[in-house]
This record gives sequence, structure tokens and C-alpha cells, in this order.
Amino acid sequence: MPTPTTNENSAHDVHGGLPIPRRATNRPVPNAELLRGWYRELVLIREFEIRCMQAYQDKKIGGFCHVYIGQEAVAVGCVAALKPQDPLVTAYRDHGHALARGMTSRACMAEMFGRVDGCAKGKGGSMHMFDREHNLFGGHGIVGAQTPLGAGLAFATKYEDEVINNGKSSRVTLCFLGDGALNQGAFHEALNLAGLMNLPVIFVVENNGYSMGTSIHRGTTQSHDLSSKALGYGIDATVIDGMNLLEVYHGMKDVVEKCREKSRPAFVDMRCYRYKGHSMSDPRKYRTRDEEAIWEQGDPIGTFEKFILDQGAITHDQIKSVQKEVKAEVRDAVEFADNSPVPPLSDLYHDVYREPWGRYTGTSEPLMYGGAMNPPTFRATREGDGLI
Amino acid sequence: MSATQEIEFRDAIRDAMSEEMRRDKRVMLIGEEVAEYNGAYKVSRGMLDEFGPRRVIDTPISESGFAGMAIGAAMLGLRPVVEFMSWSFSLVAADPILNNAPKMLFMSGGQFGCPIVFRGNDGAGGQLGSTHSWCVEGLFSNVPGIKIVIPSTPADAKALMKTAIRDDDPVFFMESERLLGMKGDVPVGDDVLLKFGQACVRRTGTDCTLASWGRPVHFCMEAAEELAKEGISCEVIDLRTIRPLDIGSIERSVRKTSNLVIVDQSWSFGSPGSEVAAQIHQRCFDDLDNHVHRVHTEDVPAPYAFNLEQEYLPNTRKICEAVRSATYNA
Amino acid sequence: MPRLSDTMESGTIVRWNVKEGDAVKSGMVVADIETDKATMEMPVFDDGKILKLLVPAGQQVKVGTQIALILEDGESLDGAQAATSAGAPNASAAGRPSQSASANTFVSANSSTRGASSVEPIDAQAEEILQADGARVRVSPVARRIAEQERVDLGSLKGSGPGGRIIKRDVMNALENRGSNPAAKTTDAPRTGAMSTSTSQSSATPHVAASSSLAVPVSPTPRSNGLVVAGLQSTEVAVSSMRQIIAKRLVESKTTIPHYQVTMKFELDRLMALREKLNSELASMGIKLSVNDFIVRGCALSMAKHPYINASWAGEKILMHQQVNVGVAVALDEEKGGGLLVAVIRDVDRKSLRAISSETKTLSEKARSRGLSMEDMSDSTFTVSNLGMFGVENFTAIINPPNSAILACGAALKQPVVRDDQLTIGYEMTATLSLDHRVIDGAMAARWLNTLKGLLENPASLLV
Repeated sequence: MPTPTTNENSAHDVHGGLPIPRRATNRPVPNAELLRGWYRELVLIREFEIRCMQAYQDKKIGGFCHVYIGQEAVAVGCVAALKPQDPLVTAYRDHGHALARGMTSRACMAEMFGRVDGCAKGKGGSMHMFDREHNLFGGHGIVGAQTPLGAGLAFATKYEDEVINNGKSSRVTLCFLGDGALNQGAFHEALNLAGLMNLPVIFVVENNGYSMGTSIHRGTTQSHDLSSKALGYGIDATVIDGMNLLEVYHGMKDVVEKCREKSRPAFVDMRCYRYKGHSMSDPRKYRTRDEEAIWEQGDPIGTFEKFILDQGAITHDQIKSVQKEVKAEVRDAVEFADNSPVPPLSDLYHDVYREPWGRYTGTSEPLMYGGAMNPPTFRATREGDGLI
Repeated sequence: MSATQEIEFRDAIRDAMSEEMRRDKRVMLIGEEVAEYNGAYKVSRGMLDEFGPRRVIDTPISESGFAGMAIGAAMLGLRPVVEFMSWSFSLVAADPILNNAPKMLFMSGGQFGCPIVFRGNDGAGGQLGSTHSWCVEGLFSNVPGIKIVIPSTPADAKALMKTAIRDDDPVFFMESERLLGMKGDVPVGDDVLLKFGQACVRRTGTDCTLASWGRPVHFCMEAAEELAKEGISCEVIDLRTIRPLDIGSIERSVRKTSNLVIVDQSWSFGSPGSEVAAQIHQRCFDDLDNHVHRVHTEDVPAPYAFNLEQEYLPNTRKICEAVRSATYNA
Repeated sequence: MPRLSDTMESGTIVRWNVKEGDAVKSGMVVADIETDKATMEMPVFDDGKILKLLVPAGQQVKVGTQIALILEDGESLDGAQAATSAGAPNASAAGRPSQSASANTFVSANSSTRGASSVEPIDAQAEEILQADGARVRVSPVARRIAEQERVDLGSLKGSGPGGRIIKRDVMNALENRGSNPAAKTTDAPRTGAMSTSTSQSSATPHVAASSSLAVPVSPTPRSNGLVVAGLQSTEVAVSSMRQIIAKRLVESKTTIPHYQVTMKFELDRLMALREKLNSELASMGIKLSVNDFIVRGCALSMAKHPYINASWAGEKILMHQQVNVGVAVALDEEKGGGLLVAVIRDVDRKSLRAISSETKTLSEKARSRGLSMEDMSDSTFTVSNLGMFGVENFTAIINPPNSAILACGAALKQPVVRDDQLTIGYEMTATLSLDHRVIDGAMAARWLNTLKGLLENPASLLV
């Protein structure tokens, strides 16, 4: 079975990386229903991001907005290789991960719009997508900040399984980061701790070749072989073609399985390309249009579409209807977001602490008990007093 | 109150942590030298023996890494106690402790909280020089989402630490290296807790209110003793937590005395002391006989030389001078 | 003009890559636009045809200005305007009520409330005190306050503080020497207001006078307004500030608002059954819905059809509120001095029963234990008062300004009722709406009550 090639050997090889091993070639093809489901997710993320760009330009979306166009196969393939109970944490280019993890396009779009029906009630925004139900522990806005959190999530799942429940560590944590985060101290500390403490966390570097406008070879040593970063911390590394969904899926399946079995960290250099700018205000002057055009020929959606057509897993008509359905879903999400109320102003004072203290949040709890010469200490009256 | 037992400040903190770890398996202690070394300041003495290396965890010197890791664990539901050998070293972990822990609940629209305690030495030790003498409450009290606890006695330290561990929000617990050896009566039993935001009147008086927290409370007590000989009667209020801030207790006292001197170990510019002063000017304007006076650490980096360090910190002499000035007895 | 950077406010069209009549495809770059940060490519998001270029190259326009019209595939010429992606901000802005407008409404609606309950400024504070020689006197705030209360003439004192500032000690000395020292002469008239609002420790006025000597008649004081007949045995109780506010506001309401009442009966059989079912299913979650929670939600939902009930009289205009904030009257424990507070639940029309229930519970507990903050009590647009828990059958309430209506609810009583022309046993509640006739006429009130009746008698509608 032929698999589409990416551009690692072309003149526009932005990563300058070593060749990527192929894994999908000799693997059994997943069943047609699964393939169609993945296809729908790819198309949904793409359409969602296009409409985000439009809504941003229409001033419906504020702040910074980083779209995922071009990298869809990474989120879909990685999530497909996980179990629902495995925690996932990511950086600020997070809409694709949220949708792949199962967040509704309505909740995601309403969050972008800053409305009360957003996944975080309009308080997080584009860079901070959280979804407790789907074990999405956030998009995080500070580059690299999520890497120690990823280690911590893995620490906690292992602690729960082994120390509290006296069982075997059963979950793995997936921690996404961009290639820019490779240069942050937090990343290196997280890798050291994960290696030292045998934490079941997988650091997936979505290596799209650019941290904002700085190409990877201008900012990162050993950029041709990022594995060396992980090896320094005693962590196994894998290179995967992030432009090919089947490669992502099979590659990640192996990594996840090993990580779960051995309860050890892993590192993945996921080679991919973002078709749009770093954010909405990026003119992309640091790369040529030729380079973009070549990468667009290897579009992960087109590649996958061709593959499942060839496999007979989908028909042209079915493709048309998926596209139509997704368009309608995203249009509905935009409409929903637009009609969702803005958060009430009183929301500003909620969720700062678990117990709301009113307007002087944190500075002064109104009407305290203090002032007595011997203020009463209180005795916990029942088990669990003071806990959630 | 039932029986008490005289123990050291450091053991009061240890007892609080151990009791809570016995009570709740989700609680664990992590930090540099907390396990095999028994804590750089011997606060976690004996804990490794009781709880083992899975729950009392040594880390490498990697504050940003282990602070962030503990926050991730708290998001998933554990209740970590993180020891910073010194709060001075927390500055390299500023992003996780200021950008992640206090904002997680808000950013996630209430989905993920951060029940975590960060604790360690705060304020000048003994001639540690500029980099190791940080009094971080001046910086961190500016950030909403954090609770800040600064006890001054062993009994408070134990009861407040237990409350901190059971609290669902991030708590910064600040200990003074100079107080760790102090002995005091602590109630026996593992169910004595103290609510946050509840100040304590350590001494009653009529002429001037002295408000402070942590180690300088003891300087205030000495100053009050000395001023009493001059006929000036001071009321000493120990705030115990500065977020939440029990401004009501200070307010009540100032309505009585008409004068307030704040004693704060941090630098004066944008400090908890300036916040208290602003709030008291607002709440008690018509009760004040003089503007609020403040005694802070001098506005310079911490010096090394013994005499310079003494002059740099709030001390009994400076407090007495401030009270005399505030009460028009200078 | 699309926004192409986070800080962009206007943009210049550097170049159009298309001309009128050209076909375009989604993603195609039709223009280069110079923003505050860089020259950006402007793509279109739909397939179609350029109908018109409205802004020529070289011209700078604000973000949101229409710069071109695109005729989408399958679209007619008439609809083109609305579908232009670049023109969308204008179109959508009109679709949503302006935030600032609704915020303003609330400010003006409540200014009267706040004004009514705040303490009147004391004249003396604004007056400048001059010494005998005409020089300005410096006084510490507390010294000034004590002098006010004790009627000490500050102009006659000499300050011992820095720069001659009169401090507390100076005033206290003057008070001690009063009588013997001519310098401490008192001012002529008492300053009204200063004593009654003060919290001073030096005030010796007992809060409850003669409480232990009921048999001794209290001599009539000038303050008794002549209403108390001499010889009647009474005890005098100082009035709390809360009671003063209640007295002031309700007298004002009852004397300035033309009140009238409309009463209606509600069949609550289904509501009681639904409540019982929900409560038994939700008991494990610690949720217990009260009848009042249903009523509060019903009232809020009824506003959508009859917005004039959710309005305020504001002199020459009526303010129709954009939010439905329902005040719930909370009685305080009599042992603790009693009193009445109105806790406000905001945006009730957008809240679930469960949210309303838990918020009501939290606020009433807070009211009883610690008192409510200004925020907890302000911005109500309608009020519900319920004495059902005391078994009261029916009563009328006084409107809580600046509301225009208040609903007084009795108990849901089990009683003989007629259902389908049969005498049977059922639950009925009587509720009386008090209204401001300047805003709401009788028929309007009746229609609103009917809507509420429809909701309470078919309570499933309250769940969705």
C-alpha cells in the first residue's frame, strides 16, 4: 500500500531533519467507519479554523488567535491513539486539540467569541480551552509552561493508580508543545523530572518549523535531530510524519502502548507545517510563497481523502455530504456563539477562589470573625470537613 | 480548649503535614531535600520514615519544574505540599506559581482548581545577603487567586497549615527561618484548624494600633512593652493571613485608638502595608488622629554586614519611634 | 475593512488584485492591506463574483467599513449587501442590544435608591473653620468628629500637633476642662445627623433604655412626635440603621407610588407533584427546591412577554430593563433584631431552577449570618415576597422602589377545589401583585398574572 510522501527531502525542507521512518505501510488498515470518522474530524477542524479567521476579521473574536490549519492530522491521529481517560494538555494553538478531544464546536466557538456558553464561560479565550469532561487540561498561553503541568498530570495519574489504589499505573498523559518550547527552561526541567521519576507522559513536539517568525534552525540547536534533546534526559524519541494521519496514528499507537506498559516518558518529533501565520496578524514575510505552495501539495486532508477513496472506505458522494454537514455544523456554531449572551458582569468576581468573596476578592473577606482576644479555633466536626 | 504541648515552630508545621497526610492519601510533600535530608531546615524531620519515598519526594534543584509539576498534579486532584527551601528560590518558578496556579480556576471557567500549598522560608534569615533574603509577600500579594498565610506562633502555624492543606485554592505559606526554633504551646489533637482571614489581638491597648504579621509581630510586642513604660498603650494585631485580609479587625481597633502603625517586613513600595494603609484611610478617615505610619524594610537590597542588616529590617527601635510620632509624643 | 492584526483600527488598501466582475474563490487573496503592523494579504471566505470595489487603492478606512461587495454563488443582487463578509460588523452590531445602553439604564434606575438610603451630608463638614484671627484651622479627622459630636468650637482651640494641627488630645482636654475653661465653649446648635449615624465609642446613649423597669413610665421626650400618649407604659428601643432605612424607603414608596393590587389564584397540583419528584431524585445531590424557586423563575420568564412589568418609573420616562433581576425578600431572625433585606438574584431568566435555588439559599443564609453586601442587594427589577412558609393565605406588599411591581405569595394550601367541575382536594396558592399605576395598568397586570399562571400550572415549562 503506497503512502503519500512528505517534503522532507525537497528544497523546502523547513525542518532540515533526518528522514522519517514509515510505519503505516505494513500495518492493517483501520476499519472504514473509523476512517470516515477521522476524515470528518479533519474537515471539521479545517472548516472551524477558516470560520474563526473570518470571525476574527469581523471583530467577533478578540485578542490573539492562532489557527491550526495544516496540522489537523496531528491532533486527530494523536487523540485516536489515546483512551478517553488519558489526560491531555497543550499550548495556545489549541482549537484543533479541543475539537479532536470531543469538545463541541458550539462550546469552542462560543469561547472564542467570549460568550457565556463557551467551554470556560468566556473567561479563557482562544488560547485557554479547558474541558474537564474530556480530560483536556487546557490550552496554555505561555510557551513551554504546559510541559511541567504535563509531567504533573502523569505524576498524579500514576500516584492515584499506584499509591492511592495500590494498582498498576494505567493512564498516559499527552503533552503537546511547539518547536519554540524546546528552547524554554521549563521544558528541560520537565523532561529531566519525567525521566528521573519514570512518569508516563508523552511530549509531542508539533514541529512546524517556525516559532512565530523564527525558523527552527535559527533558534534551536540540533534542529536536524531533536531526538538528541530527549536522549540527554534518558527518554526514548520517535520521529513521525505529522502530515499523514495514518503515520501519526500508527506511530503514536506504538509510543502510547510502550509508555503505558513501561510507565516511562516518551518524546515525539512530529514534523508538520502550519499553512497560516503564527497568529492573525502575521504577514509571513519570513518564508516564501513557493515554500507554502509546496507544502500545500502535501495537505494532510487531501492526502487522507485520496487514501480512503483508494481504499474504498468512502465514496465521492459521502465526501460531499461530510463537507456539507461540517459546513452546516460550523455555521451553526458561529450562529450559536453569536446568539449566546455575553457573560454577566458579576461573573468577573467568580472562579477567582472556590468560595466567592464578593468584590474585594481576596483582599478582604467581608465581615470577618476576627478581633477577639482569643479568636476561636474551630474543630473539624466531621470527616471531609473543609474538603470539596 | 483542651490540653496543650510545648513544641518548636518547625515541628508544629511537620505535625500539621503529617496529620493531614495520615488523613488524606492525596496529600504528599515534594521539594528539595525534604526526604532523605529531613528538610534543609529540618521541618520534615521523620516524615520519610513514616510515609516512604512515594509520598515524601526529593526533587532535584529545579523549582520551575517541580512547582509546575505539582500544579499539574493538583489539577488532576492531588493535594501537594511543595517546599521551597527558601521563598527566594521561588522566583525562578514565577511562571507556574503566578501564571498557572492562581489563574487556573478562572481561566477554565471553574472547571479546574488548584488545591496546593507552597511553603518555605520567607524574609531575612541571618546575614544571607541580597539574593537569599527575599520577603516575597510584597510581590505575590498583588496577585488575585492566591491565599497568603504568615503565622507568628507554633500554634497558629499548625492550625493554619492544616487549613491550608484542606483549602481548595492555592495557598502560599510563609515561614521565618528565625522563628523555626521558637517554642510555644500547641493544642494537642489533630482536629484544630484556624480559619483564614481571622486576625488575632495579641495585646490590647488604647492609644495606638500596631498591625503586623509573621516575625515582626514579636518586635511589635517588645515595642509595646517598652512604650507602656512611657505611658503609651499599644494594641497589637497579628493578621496571620494577608489574603484574605482581616481589615475589619484593624478597623475596629483603629476606631478605638485613632492611630495605626503598620509593621511590614517587605519593601514599602506597593506592599501589603501600603494596601492596609490605603484601606484604613478609606474606612477610618474620620477616626484617625494622624496619618497611618508604616515601618518597613529599608528600600535597598538586603545587605550582608550584621549591623547593616539590623538597620535594614524593621526593629523595636523603629517601631517605637513610629508610634511616638503617630501619637504626637515624638 | 477586516481586522488583520490585534491592534489594527484602520487599514490602507495597497492594491486590489481583482477588478469588478472577477470571479473569486474561497481563500483567494483579493487585496493587499497595510495595517499598523505590516502589509497583509486579504483573502475572501466564500466563492462568488466581485460586484463592486467600494474603496480604491491608496485609501485608508476604518476597520468595519465596507470595501467591496461580493455576490456569493447562488445569490441574487438584492441580498448581496447583507452577505458581504467585509461588511458584517455593521450588520451584526445592529442585531445585538448595545451593552452600554443597557448599563446606562441601570445606572439611572438605581440612582434614586442609592440616594434615598445614603446618609445626608453634614453641613459642618463642608464649612471651613477659621480661627479668631481668620487663619485656617488644621484638625485631625477624629478630632473634628469628636468636636462635632460634643459641640466643641474648634476655632477657639489651639492645636498641639505639627503645624498647629488640632488633634484628639486637644479636644479631649477641652472637654475635660469644659465649664472651667472658657476656651472650650460649645457651638450653638446640635448638628442633626451627626449623633444618629455615628458609631463612636464615646457616645453614651444606651440602645435600650429602661428595659428592666417596665413599671416606670418613660417620660415623654420631644422626639416622640406627640404620638405616644402620656401615661401609657412603654419601653423605648433605639432604632437600628436598617429599620431607619426600611421606614424611610417604605414610607416613600407608599406615599409617592400610586399602588393598587390584583389578586389571582393558582392551581399548584402539578407543581407540587413535580417538585416532590425532583426533590426526591435530587436529594442525593443536596438539592431541595422550594415552591418559591419555581415562582421566582416563573416571574422572570413571564417578563419576556410583558416587559413593562420589569420596568421603572423615572420621572418623564419609563425605563424598560434589559436584565431580569428578581429581589427576594428575606426576613431576619427576630432574636437578632429582626429586619428585612431584599437579596437580588441576577439574570434570573437565564438561570436554571437549581441555580436559582442555590443562589437564593446562599444569599438568605448570608443575609442572616453576615449581612449582604451592596452588590447583593442592588439592581433588582422586580421583587417577590413570600409568607407561605408561615401558612399565610394572602397578603399585599409594598413596592420596593425603583421596581414597579411586587408579588406577595401566600402558602400552597391543600384544600377543597373544583377541578373539571368536580369537587376534589388540591393545592391552591393565592398571590397578590402590587403595582405602580404610573407604569402598569390593571389589564396589563392581569395579562402578566395569566402568563405566570400558565407557567406555574404547567410547570414543565419552567424546567426548560
